[in-house]
Amino acid sequence: MATVKLRSISKEFGASEVIRNLDLVVDHGEFVTLVGPSGCGKTTVLRMVAGLEVITSGHLYIGHVLANHIPPRDRGVSMVFQSYALFPHMTVSENIAFGLKIKKYARSEMLKRIDWALNLLNLQGLESRLPRDLSGGQRQRVAFARAVVVEPEVLLLDEPLSNLDATLRLKMRIELKRIHKKLGATIIYVTHDQIEAMSLSDRVAIMHEGKLAQVGTPKEVYNAPGNAFVAGFIGNPAMNFFNGKIVRRDGGLFVDLGKFELSIPESLCKKCQSHLAREVSLGIRPEHIYDKRASKIESLPGNTIEMVTDVVEPLGDRDIVQVNKDGIHVTLLLDPEIETKPNKPMTIVFDMARCHIFDKETEKSIICTPSHGKTLEEPLLSPLE
Amino acid sequence: MTAYSPNLPTVRNKGIMVAIRRNIFGMIILAPAVLYLSGFLLIILFKVVQLALTHTGPQGDLFPTAHHFLRLSNNPEFQGAFARTVWFTLIGTPLELIIGMAAAFLVVGEFKGRGVVRSLMILPLAIPSIVTAIMLYIIFDFPGGHVNDLLMGRHAFFPFQVISHPLNWRGSGFFSLMVAIFGKVWRDMPISMLIILAGLQAIGKDQYEAARTLGANALQTFFRITLPLLTPAMSTVLVLRSIEIWKEFIFPFILAGSYPLLATLIDRAYHEWRNPNEACAIALILLVLIIMSTALIFYVLKWLRRRLVRV
Amino acid sequence: MAEKKIGKGMTSIGLWIGGIRPTKVIWFAGIVMMLLMVLAPVFVMVKYSISDRSSVVTGGLPIPLWPYHPTVEQFQGLAAMDTFVVSAFTSVKVALLSAVISLVVGTPAAYALVRFRFRGMMVLATLLISARLFPDIVSVVPIVETFIRLRLVNTLLGVAMAHALLSMPYVIFIAMGVFETIPRDLDEQAQVLGASKWHSFTRVMLPVALPGLAAAAIYVFLLSWDEFILAYFLLAFGNVSTLPVLLQKVLSWTPQHNLLAAISVMLSAPVILFTFMVQKYMQTGATAGAVK
Repeated sequence: MATVKLRSISKEFGASEVIRNLDLVVDHGEFVTLVGPSGCGKTTVLRMVAGLEVITSGHLYIGHVLANHIPPRDRGVSMVFQSYALFPHMTVSENIAFGLKIKKYARSEMLKRIDWALNLLNLQGLESRLPRDLSGGQRQRVAFARAVVVEPEVLLLDEPLSNLDATLRLKMRIELKRIHKKLGATIIYVTHDQIEAMSLSDRVAIMHEGKLAQVGTPKEVYNAPGNAFVAGFIGNPAMNFFNGKIVRRDGGLFVDLGKFELSIPESLCKKCQSHLAREVSLGIRPEHIYDKRASKIESLPGNTIEMVTDVVEPLGDRDIVQVNKDGIHVTLLLDPEIETKPNKPMTIVFDMARCHIFDKETEKSIICTPSHGKTLEEPLLSPLE
Repeated sequence: MTAYSPNLPTVRNKGIMVAIRRNIFGMIILAPAVLYLSGFLLIILFKVVQLALTHTGPQGDLFPTAHHFLRLSNNPEFQGAFARTVWFTLIGTPLELIIGMAAAFLVVGEFKGRGVVRSLMILPLAIPSIVTAIMLYIIFDFPGGHVNDLLMGRHAFFPFQVISHPLNWRGSGFFSLMVAIFGKVWRDMPISMLIILAGLQAIGKDQYEAARTLGANALQTFFRITLPLLTPAMSTVLVLRSIEIWKEFIFPFILAGSYPLLATLIDRAYHEWRNPNEACAIALILLVLIIMSTALIFYVLKWLRRRLVRV
Repeated sequence: MAEKKIGKGMTSIGLWIGGIRPTKVIWFAGIVMMLLMVLAPVFVMVKYSISDRSSVVTGGLPIPLWPYHPTVEQFQGLAAMDTFVVSAFTSVKVALLSAVISLVVGTPAAYALVRFRFRGMMVLATLLISARLFPDIVSVVPIVETFIRLRLVNTLLGVAMAHALLSMPYVIFIAMGVFETIPRDLDEQAQVLGASKWHSFTRVMLPVALPGLAAAAIYVFLLSWDEFILAYFLLAFGNVSTLPVLLQKVLSWTPQHNLLAAISVMLSAPVILFTFMVQKYMQTGATAGAVK
């Protein structure tokens, strides 16, 4: 298992810069997910680590070795492609054996390892099938087996679950977590699905337009998003954003949304001082807004607004409710026990202690300074070694 | 072990060396084909020019010299071949296009058994040219070939006497070359048909429907929509077929042996006159003709298309 | 799916042809005429090949449209005719050899042209493919003159090499089409698993491309099998002939129609057979570069 370090990595395709100055360290045995909307460059990063894409500038270390110029086959990485890329003319065991044969494993060792991989992924009995005779989930598992059987230093997974149906995806997610635990492998995982990212990884790296927006544990990126993009990307349904201005009233700070004012809790006031009278964006998650009838927190003038329900989407375990008034739309999650009907007035309570405030221009959070997970302070070897 | 060095030199990968390293394998496996084709073509071009411009006289080799070209231009056999080649091409090329279009229009619609008919239409492609030529040789035989029998009304199902005496097809320059053109067009019909068919199928249904809603009748639709949209396919047929017909060898060789075209004159110069230099001179003339006519067709089509678009 | 869409688009033309009664009659007559024209020479060939002598030499009577006494004696004669048997084998050997040369050289090139996209690659691909437009009749004398020096005249290898020159552009064109359909992922997966580029090409790409390449092989085999001009010039004064050259020789010795027809049938049969087997690829080859 190896540590992967990316140091100010950039990638240009012709004139366009797809990745700009990316820094990321993936510890050995760690499961890190690159997540972001399509076109953010996450797959390009993965392909650069695999060696399938030339790194325009920057340093890539796998283990303690500068890997920029090492061809894919000598990097000690394995990759599972979105398409699985099973060799259609080879049986399941031949597919799994492909890498072992090239690495010249002894025959007995090879058989042992194939058996191990077949067991690990519950593929017993399918050894002599061709890929075209397998179901989607089975193909997926063969692709995994083929990738892990060569004992890679790093396992790269490019949206491996995106071609599966919803139930199978859930099952494979658990499977994947199990495999990671068992192998203790370093895994870099690419997905556009934030739920997958949150549920699987030790740390999540959120990418936006070729840059890292934030890196952190799932809890960190959820609770303390460093900027508006991360705040909006993580969480489902997405965070509510309101444009406003920080104002001072009666000795306390408030966010002035035009028609309403919401009070900023004392704990955050100090951080907001600097933005007094400036345009900000107030963010609050749907799960932190309550109906007054069942509010977990006390309803006060500074956190309560009268609105009208618009749309109710019952999900069974909870309802997604849209309310609005005076051009302000709010999404909140409600307990289905509470009866909600469209076009009825509703009093909602904001849990302002859990709100986020972002600078309007830089979109950076005023109240959270994210730790970048692990930074690059540890020593790096010079490229000559 | 070197400690942390914060100012590592930036690794930039924009050099030509990186491009070469990434692509070296591609270049290596590409090389044999490039060498094979370009090697052959360069040798051929070099040899053609060299032989055509060299005259081995009593004083040794003379180079460069227009000797062979001058001699050829005074040779009535060459003059005849030149004239025949020109009209052979002028008749053959449009005919290839017209027959190809006719065939394409016949099979483009949906009808029962279209698959079978289309497959049968491809059949000429599957008959070697030499075989087709020899079959035409037999069919147009003199005095007792099928065509002569037919035209003299000797078959019960066609009792009309078009000619009173059997025609000696191979004895006349006009008839023998017409038979050769027939053979060439017959053999190439599927190719022209397929290209036109592809062109027709690229025209969307919408365009026809739009035209119809605008009140265009069938003929207008054909001339205003089908034909203009078909010009790319038609140009392809014209360019490719004209090259083919300029250089046609097998059909005139078998069917019009006494009335050579430039292509068959190369054979005569090489094998009968035992003069490779003159053979190459003819080949060079033919090559230049082909290039000029292709350029001309390109130019004319471009001009035509621009006019069509403006109207 | 695409086929269906095209078919639907066509109905409008179909209606244009079939909408009015008289047009439909003309259309039907046209189809019948075309088919008759297409089938006539083929019919004549088959008819003569099974004709007995009295159906060919009629002594002034019109030649019958069907032989008086159909017979296979021409084919039996061919089987016993040494020159025919030798020429047939020569043709097979030349065609195999030229197919091998053009595939071994052309397939890797096609793969490189599809997978390695450096600058000028498309131009190079276009140049390589359009080499087939170079007139064979222009190149034939220089080739013979060069091959005389290389002692390749009157040899199988010489003819095969010349045929490979003709067929390589087709191999490259067809093989490029085949490789383009194979996802890049397979290649990259093989490399990530430790395969060298050569290994990935020979162990992964080639086996996957095999069906398409087989069609290319058949196509260029046939191209050599019925090629006449180069074979005729290169074998003109030797003892070896390919079948097309033998056919021409027989014509100049004795224009005996039923013998000519029998050889023609033997020459055409494999072509007809394979053409319909790999019809799709034949059409691609025939219209190569035209539709693109």
